Amino acid sequence: MMPRTGPRRDRAEKQGIAWLAGAGMWIAVGVAVAVPPGLAGWARVTFACCMGLTALSFIAVYRGRSRRTGNGLSVHGRDDDDGPAGPAVHQRHTLRMVSLLMPRPAGRRWLAEAESLLAEVTAARRGAAVRSYLLSAPRLAVMMWTREVLRRARHGPRRPG
Amino acid sequence: MAPRLTVQVQLVLQALLRDPARELYGLELSEETGLQPGTAYPILLRLEHEGWVTSRWEDIDPRAEKRPARRYYRLTAGGAVQASAALAAARRPKGTALRRLAERGGST
Repeated sequence: MMPRTGPRRDRAEKQGIAWLAGAGMWIAVGVAVAVPPGLAGWARVTFACCMGLTALSFIAVYRGRSRRTGNGLSVHGRDDDDGPAGPAVHQRHTLRMVSLLMPRPAGRRWLAEAESLLAEVTAARRGAAVRSYLLSAPRLAVMMWTREVLRRARHGPRRPG
Repeated sequence: MAPRLTVQVQLVLQALLRDPARELYGLELSEETGLQPGTAYPILLRLEHEGWVTSRWEDIDPRAEKRPARRYYRLTAGGAVQASAALAAARRPKGTALRRLAERGGST
């Protein structure tokens, strides 16, 4: 397999380092400022980690929001941005998430068929096609799970391979 | 057990029965029936579960063809017979109420 190289990987590495640095900073701040002095050693570490993680999750939410809205205030410059994801990417993600509601083999097949069809359908009809897949998915998921449960009751769980 | 013959199921069966030996993929079927693909898919799945329809993945190299493989559907031999019979039965006027009305009309 070819190793992942290029600007994407560099960017991912830089982002990873930035996250680690951020996490370290917040943990240090947590220890220094917020840990009550009476706590035992292990409790201090746990408390500090919790503080750090809480702060990180807040930052992650904030960054996610600012990127989605594309207000140009992201800490990354415009050169560092992939730009807004196209509707096709969002549709694919949505379909993939919905396919997880179904039993695994059925979900995979549903997703593969949907993607196969959407690759060939005209752009004008794609939105309606995706909507129809998404609208029929809950009922389909119920149908597939009912079938799967009945099958398992009869034959036991599916064996890999 | 035969699947419930809704209008949509009838449309799918009619499209498949036009040439029972021919395989249709989702988009073709959707265009022939006028149904949205998301509507046709559960119908095909139900028909396949009942043994009326069989399906297979197209055997291609997606990179060479520059498109993903299609899933092809066609009626089984038994499915074609059962589908024809079911469609014929569905076309007949549904019985008792109409018959009673006709009988009542004839008696007066």
